[in-house]
Amino acid sequence: LAEILNLCDSQQLSFVLNYVSPRLKKDPFGTLPNELCLRVLSFIDDPKTLARASQVSKQWHSLLSDDLTWKKLCEKHSYRRLSSSAVGGPSALNDAYIFNSSPVFPKDSSFSTVNNSGFTSEITPQTRQNKRRRPKATTYKSHFKQRYMVETAWRTGGKAIARHITPDQGVVTSLHLTPDYIVIALDNAKIHVFDADGQILKTLSGHVMGVWAMVPWGNTLVSGGCDRDVRVWDMETGECKNILRGHTSTVRCLKMSDHKTAISGSRDTTLRIWDIEKGVCKNVLVGHQASVRCLEIHDDLVVSGSYDTTARVWSISQGTCLRTLSGHFSQIYAIAFDGNRIATGSLDTSVRVWNPHTGHCLAVLQGHTSLVGQLQMRGNTLVTGGSDGSVRVWSLERNACVHRLAAHDNSVTSLQFDETRIVSGGSDGRVKVWDLQTGTLVRELSTPAEAVWRVAFEDEKAVILAMRATRTIMEVYSFSPPPEALN
Amino acid sequence: MVSQIKLMSSDQATIVVDKEVAERSVLIKNMLEDVGEVDEAIPIPNVNEAVLKKVIEWCEHHKGDAPATNEDESDSRKRSTDIEEWDQKFMQVDQEMLFEIILAANYLDIKPLLDVGCKTVANMIKGKSPEEIRKTFNIQNDFTPEEEEQIRRENEWAEE
Repeated sequence: LAEILNLCDSQQLSFVLNYVSPRLKKDPFGTLPNELCLRVLSFIDDPKTLARASQVSKQWHSLLSDDLTWKKLCEKHSYRRLSSSAVGGPSALNDAYIFNSSPVFPKDSSFSTVNNSGFTSEITPQTRQNKRRRPKATTYKSHFKQRYMVETAWRTGGKAIARHITPDQGVVTSLHLTPDYIVIALDNAKIHVFDADGQILKTLSGHVMGVWAMVPWGNTLVSGGCDRDVRVWDMETGECKNILRGHTSTVRCLKMSDHKTAISGSRDTTLRIWDIEKGVCKNVLVGHQASVRCLEIHDDLVVSGSYDTTARVWSISQGTCLRTLSGHFSQIYAIAFDGNRIATGSLDTSVRVWNPHTGHCLAVLQGHTSLVGQLQMRGNTLVTGGSDGSVRVWSLERNACVHRLAAHDNSVTSLQFDETRIVSGGSDGRVKVWDLQTGTLVRELSTPAEAVWRVAFEDEKAVILAMRATRTIMEVYSFSPPPEALN
Repeated sequence: MVSQIKLMSSDQATIVVDKEVAERSVLIKNMLEDVGEVDEAIPIPNVNEAVLKKVIEWCEHHKGDAPATNEDESDSRKRSTDIEEWDQKFMQVDQEMLFEIILAANYLDIKPLLDVGCKTVANMIKGKSPEEIRKTFNIQNDFTPEEEEQIRRENEWAEE
């Protein structure tokens, strides 16, 4: 055979090549048993390739419909499991799969309205209906597709489904997203309650000065501010159910430890533990020498950060101070606590990590050049934001800075992260989305405003409170895929 | 002292191989543990001589490797389709042989070789359009134009 080929000229050889080469090719999925085909596919972690491969032939298509491949892909992409929809904190619950067939708006029409609460609003109704109508994913392939489309929308897409120009010119002091509500509080005594898609539901009026702290729990909202009162509201009815009195100065921070227990921290240097159902103060925690600026609860422990430069660990049930954490040289502005560690951010530009059970300082994280006012902890990751405009990602295993993001030209006013991304807002008016793992900028969300007061996000939604042309604006962004794409 | 054993391929060829090398195959290792010392060739009825030699060549080269962990879904396996250089060269064979090696590795229970084989195929698929994949493996497109269009639309989401 070799001799024959030796006699051939290049034209003939190329004929031989074209004749022979297809015969040397073989469909692997026609040759190998299914179990091995799936093993081959398990090495492909790129959905584009998988999607393309499913278009090759009928057999490839049926192989690519095998859910095991997609399940593995979900795992590789760290998408949550199909069965459990609740990963993350209580306020990060996702209602995207809830079936709700009652459309509220005429289909296919955006509209603007000024309602009696003074809002000028633009709502895109079809998105709202669609999201609610989305059926629960039943296969890993459809689940993967949903998650992938959401991730893609976070990177390059997404759309504003609601935009409100509020009647207020105040500073937004807090923003909370719950499965049912978006709640904002302002320094002009107002609290506005929207549904999860950004429709205004209620305005809670009662406070007489700025509202500086609030915490939602189901349909209940607890709020406090300059008028020294802690108010308990029913967000569904808009009714104020209780007014809790006792603080002698501004209420600066509020958290709840269970459905009937709220804890407030005040400029009067005390914390108060309230039974919000009975409307009574169960305990006054005395010890700080200056304003209590921030607090966090885990199980029976509440930790508080104060302008007296210390943080304190208290027992809720006993109403006593267990430990005082001393080390910061200046006021504490932010605190995080997950039961295992406490992190505090201070005007002294450092972040300290503490053991809540011994009170020992585990680490002093240096790097910020100004006040550290934003701080979130999640597992072994800590993310901080400062008045220096930078956002830092820290590893709490190594107590070292992993990423330093030159995030904003001015103060970081708001920051949140989950397992994949960080969203930060700054007084430079910008909202930026970052990749948590690589520390790179993914995108800027919305158009630059004069200042961003607050940002918060969930799996498929981001809410921005910003100042534009001296008005306070709320924008709700959706990253949900259009329903026709999921059929 | 290196003890040797004999293997008999499906086409009745006898191959002598170091016991240590042959034991890269969990199947052979278990067999040897069951039957103890044997003089006769161990029949490998599913693998022909050419493929068996190729598999043994791989086992020779990898005889010093740390034993594979039982944890099938270990991180490195999951993480990448990286193939070390020697293995890449080793896998530069025609497709028939490649698939035969995968089948043999599966039958003989040599996980690392099976993975190298599967990764090689996966890499031949990666980044290609459906038509390019068909060309690569000489596959007939058996969709009707309507079906093809529908499936293309079904998969549009992944194209960004």
